[in-house]
Amino acid sequence: MHLDKAGNYNSLSEAIVGFSQYVRLEGLNVGIKECQEALLAAQIGTIDNPNVFGYALKSIFCSSQEEGELFDLLFRRFWLKEAMIAGKTTYKNQTNIQKQSPASLVWMGVGEQQEEQKEEEGQNVSGANAIERLRKTDFSKISDMDSTLVEELAMQLWQQMAKRLKRKLKQSHSKGPIDLRKTIRKSIGNGGDPIRLIRKNKIPRKQRLVILLDVSGSMDKYSFFLLRFICALRTYFETVEAFLFSTNLIRITDYLDATDLGLTLQLLSAKAHNWSSGTKIGDCFQTFNEHYAKQVLVGQSTTIVLSDGLDTGDIDVLVEELGKIKRRTRRLIWLNPLKGMEGYEPTQRAMSAALPSLDVFHSAHNLNSLLELENYLLHV
Amino acid sequence: MKKQYNITELNSGFDQLGYILDEELATIVFLMLHLQKPLLLEGNPGVGKTEVANILARFLGTELIRLQCYEGLDVHSAVYEWNYQKQLLSIKIQESSQKSDMEKENHIFSEDFLMQRPLLQSITQTTAPPVLLIDEIDRADEEFEAYLLELLSAFQISIPEMGTIKATHKPYVILTSNRTRELSDALKRRCLYHWVDFPSLEKEMQIVHKHLPHIEHHLLERVVGLVQEVRQQKLEKTPGIAETIDWARALEALGFKDGSQEKSLGCLLKSTKDIAKVKAQGMEQITLGV
Repeated sequence: MHLDKAGNYNSLSEAIVGFSQYVRLEGLNVGIKECQEALLAAQIGTIDNPNVFGYALKSIFCSSQEEGELFDLLFRRFWLKEAMIAGKTTYKNQTNIQKQSPASLVWMGVGEQQEEQKEEEGQNVSGANAIERLRKTDFSKISDMDSTLVEELAMQLWQQMAKRLKRKLKQSHSKGPIDLRKTIRKSIGNGGDPIRLIRKNKIPRKQRLVILLDVSGSMDKYSFFLLRFICALRTYFETVEAFLFSTNLIRITDYLDATDLGLTLQLLSAKAHNWSSGTKIGDCFQTFNEHYAKQVLVGQSTTIVLSDGLDTGDIDVLVEELGKIKRRTRRLIWLNPLKGMEGYEPTQRAMSAALPSLDVFHSAHNLNSLLELENYLLHV
Repeated sequence: MKKQYNITELNSGFDQLGYILDEELATIVFLMLHLQKPLLLEGNPGVGKTEVANILARFLGTELIRLQCYEGLDVHSAVYEWNYQKQLLSIKIQESSQKSDMEKENHIFSEDFLMQRPLLQSITQTTAPPVLLIDEIDRADEEFEAYLLELLSAFQISIPEMGTIKATHKPYVILTSNRTRELSDALKRRCLYHWVDFPSLEKEMQIVHKHLPHIEHHLLERVVGLVQEVRQQKLEKTPGIAETIDWARALEALGFKDGSQEKSLGCLLKSTKDIAKVKAQGMEQITLGV
């Protein structure tokens, strides 16, 4: 017996129970309580009119606009004998972890033939100990040998930084307004004289961090490290929103939660189809402003853009969209790995056009430069 | 026993008060009254979410208690607060009395010293269940949302110094959200849900007509039609129903002369870019023509 049609049940209440099971199987979050309420709703007279009955069940079963659309479909199918439309719908989360594509290999830090680099300038720093040297080495010039070492060191340092940031935030807000409630409580013992004033701890403002990471071809050598940097920040900031962009923009916040960094990277590479392609910064920011800015850039937020500013898109769009972000965010930081190069001037058209909108323009080519970000994050 | 309304009564009642309920929303309001469940209304700004609560309170003839949410809203401004100044004075006055410390403490933590904030007010109404409007819940913090769960499921509030206060009448709760962030599933599951969309041409014409009864039909159709067209475009701020009404009012005041729609565009669009964009698309060509 097919249980996905109202006609197959013996009584109305059975059909309603059957329907709630049906929609549950199809992905709506419907439990026993909802089912009871649906029965109750039918009892108080909504059943007389199919439209009204549909509206009633919709408000009970759904909890978002998207679910509402799905519900309409299921409702028609179940109650109104509408023919199945071309197989089952595919709204259930499909998280296929694809085989590692070349892109994912780049993510993992292997593959992507690195040119045989002989002794780099970083390694020639005389007299400096190994750690100091690694901290100053440009990410793009780290040899395979050193890369694991650098990764470990990086994670350590970044986590320390994130911890420090958290602690400093708590301390800096210690003197708050007087807490009258507690003061009076304490003063009862003294006959009501509030001798000791008790102060409220200011609730530390939640720092919202929004990060936009450029993963275009020109950033290849950096993006792997920078992504790890984002993961480290994620560990200590409660609200980090992260996005990747190249020719289009993807939100990756949900993937950062995975405890295993390797898995995170795999998932991401499966998502980033156009990994290592060209860059259309302006268009990506436009997508960001249209779809995410209203949700993400609220209250006290700091926005960090990690990009080298080598843009193939329209500069005017970039300037306009960057301006929009600037208006919504409290502080706009642009980290550019190229800035670490000797003699670098922000002369590419995109970068020089973007400069006026930025609060901070900083390099991001080695560990030390990223650690300096701490100062900016603290004084938000 | 309070009166139970059916859907048609709701529809006509709201209509008399100047609010057009469509069948879906009427059904949901009906369910909300019968199941005594909170109602969560989500939708773009300006589609009349808050107004539902206002009209419902007037329709039922009860009080409307409103809580406007904002970032950092805490229990003290939403639920209750002790009147500290009064407590301090009272302690001073009682200083010389023979009462024990225990009695003194009980005295200053009695109901006389309690300042009721909206949520507590809503469950201590003695006469009839009020309508409680929790406006823009998405702007409050997650912590506050969690606190609301207790109220919305058990309709009781615990005050450490006094004990638990149970609702005398369960209030009708309406929550609104602009969806600037996703609300927690726990909160959503306790509520009936309805997405309020921008109205269709016919419905919006009805609504504007309610507010401007003397407007001519063809003018009404033009004005609302224009707004509906403007809404299709990608704007920074899509105009809501309130803006449509404002604009229609402005046009009426200007006498529906040619060119007046352009001058009064500020009533409809609230950003220079939007105005420039709409103007650039040749809005002036569409004359209102009396």
